Amino acid sequence: MRRNRYLALLFGCAALMAGVVGCGGDDGGGGGGAAPTSESGSTEGAKVIDPAAMENAKGSVTYCQGKDTSGNAHYMIDEFNKKFSSQGLTAKLVEFPASADEQRNQFIQRQQAKSGDCDVFSADVIWTAEFASQKWLYDLTPYMEQRKSEFIPAPIETVTYDGKIWGSPESSDSAFIYYRTDRVDGVPATWQALYESAKKDGGIVFQGAPYEGLTCDWLELAFAAGGTVISEDGTKATINSPENVQATQLMMDVIADGGAPKAVTTYMEPESLAAFQTGNYTYMRNWPYAYALNQQAPKTKGKFAVEPFPSWEGGGKAGILGGHNSVISVYSKNPGGALALVDFIGSPAIQKAYAAQFSLAPVRAAIYDDPAVRKAMPFADELRQAITQAKARPVSPVYPQISQAIYRNVNAALAGQMSAEEAMQQAQSDIEKALATF
Amino acid sequence: MVSPSMLLIALVAAYPIGYAIWLSLHEYSVRVAGLSRWAGLNNYTEALGNPDFWDAMVTTLVFTAASVSLEFLIGLAMAMAMHAAFRGQSMLRTTILVPWAVLTVVTAIMWRTIFESPQGFVNSIIGGDTVWLGQEPHALIVIIIADVWKTAPFMALLLLAGLQTISSEIYEAAKVDGATAWQRFMKITMPLLTPAILVALIFRTLDALRIFDLPYVLTKGAQGTTTLSLIAQQTFAENRIYGLGAAYSVLTFITVMIVAFIYIRTVGGNIRGIAED
Repeated sequence: MRRNRYLALLFGCAALMAGVVGCGGDDGGGGGGAAPTSESGSTEGAKVIDPAAMENAKGSVTYCQGKDTSGNAHYMIDEFNKKFSSQGLTAKLVEFPASADEQRNQFIQRQQAKSGDCDVFSADVIWTAEFASQKWLYDLTPYMEQRKSEFIPAPIETVTYDGKIWGSPESSDSAFIYYRTDRVDGVPATWQALYESAKKDGGIVFQGAPYEGLTCDWLELAFAAGGTVISEDGTKATINSPENVQATQLMMDVIADGGAPKAVTTYMEPESLAAFQTGNYTYMRNWPYAYALNQQAPKTKGKFAVEPFPSWEGGGKAGILGGHNSVISVYSKNPGGALALVDFIGSPAIQKAYAAQFSLAPVRAAIYDDPAVRKAMPFADELRQAITQAKARPVSPVYPQISQAIYRNVNAALAGQMSAEEAMQQAQSDIEKALATF
Repeated sequence: MVSPSMLLIALVAAYPIGYAIWLSLHEYSVRVAGLSRWAGLNNYTEALGNPDFWDAMVTTLVFTAASVSLEFLIGLAMAMAMHAAFRGQSMLRTTILVPWAVLTVVTAIMWRTIFESPQGFVNSIIGGDTVWLGQEPHALIVIIIADVWKTAPFMALLLLAGLQTISSEIYEAAKVDGATAWQRFMKITMPLLTPAILVALIFRTLDALRIFDLPYVLTKGAQGTTTLSLIAQQTFAENRIYGLGAAYSVLTFITVMIVAFIYIRTVGGNIRGIAED
């Protein structure tokens, strides 16, 4: 009897434990009931927006984004309602959790349920291809073709997939090299010279932990060296190239030679910032958010400046774009109103307020010259330069796997577990596998 | 009496397991919304043929064996201390339980700070600039330490409950007969505590086999710390390969079941023996 009771207890526990992962199926899967189609991943047949629909749009629209920690979304919605309520168009804000993964899950769940809950969604730049290939987004090409020239070209790259434009840039972001003005005169002109200087003049910290941040750090070097990750059409892995091997090797060398602490292989942004703020390092690769924080830290205050990334010796300059794009859900019941909201977010007035009041990098080049913006962002020129020279991360529906292939193998190489050649070979086969995903 | 409990088990256990198995027998497209196809056992063939899966299996078993045995030894010592009657006993009980009350994610961040390199607490005590979370097997050791710190109190609590069921008269009788403290521990405490020990070990072992949060926060699976749950979560939630992800979670489930059966086989008889005595 007793034994049976233990057995039942164990069955129950084990079942619940497996359920932790198994139950997660509810947030995906899609039930598997839909009829198979012959198109695999193409965006053929996606709904196209009619730019005229936003004229005199009425009704209400919902704007979904991550937790509004700085208050910019509340401000924008208030301004929108002030301007459009007289024509009968109102907007409201739905806040998702602060974590990016969770925002993506929340949006995916709504789209899988074909819900029109979110007319407009503030999507991280790396999600476009996935959402577009699932046919969850309106094709905004006809609208964007009219506005394209007003925006910095690079952010539009992040929202372009399969030759079409799936959203409108909302805010951008690109990292800098921070340097100590009391130790060096500026950032050397090439990555090679920068790392050489790091060895002699007090070291550099960056993000080497196995996560998205390392993918960005590595791509900044690899793109400058002329490397690519996948082919133009997104069907082939191209990561195993001499350029990428050199980029990986350079990153490994700066650690091996003591130009960067061995611990960078465990650093994410906060750890590198903390290390820079100890005053022990001369250079740091980080995003613009670190500027204000360095101004508050006693050992770096007034003793640092920023510059966009240097170029690769004999190669070019690069950088990686962050930020968000406004996309319109294909299940929106008010696409005209949604487009009016998207148009409003990209307008000069909101772009200026976003920059001057909320420190979001504008996607319109002219905004960087505004005196109020320059006052709020002393690094406005460097930021515009960084964004202009930056590139989109590989645009692919299997981007999460591609990023894992990069950060896992590069991290292993940085930790001394494989050579640069082996890391790129392994990344190549991992990405080939990812691209073959059903 | 049987049917309501069976119904409950069906609801909370059979449905999710059945659904996970159903998912694991299909492939769901990451490219086209709603597109899926029957995959038979393909997901299992792929999972079992993946060296990462076997690495994760070894890591999980090593982690489980090391953390559960350390937790048992430390937990037993804690339980004995909590059981002893002295002034401030309730204070001690509360203090010992604090780590158990801390959220696992917070625990992980705390230990990450302690083992930070080069300027972390541990490095400044012992000197040197060891990169604890950046090399094997150090990273796994840090995860084991964090887990032991957090869950030894839970083990202690279960064992304390067991200790309190042992009548003090038995100890007094043994004292009268001239048994030493060690003899009382080995001949009275350990045999009478066995059922509680087994329950505690089973709970902790099954719990440890699905360790997820500590490696997720501390290393994200780098440096030989990818566990079975981590590989399942990454495949399922991050990469949205639902079929293969479900196959990994079913395989994790089967692993847990096998370990549970081994426990029942080898020590279940003991429990019955004690119960019948």
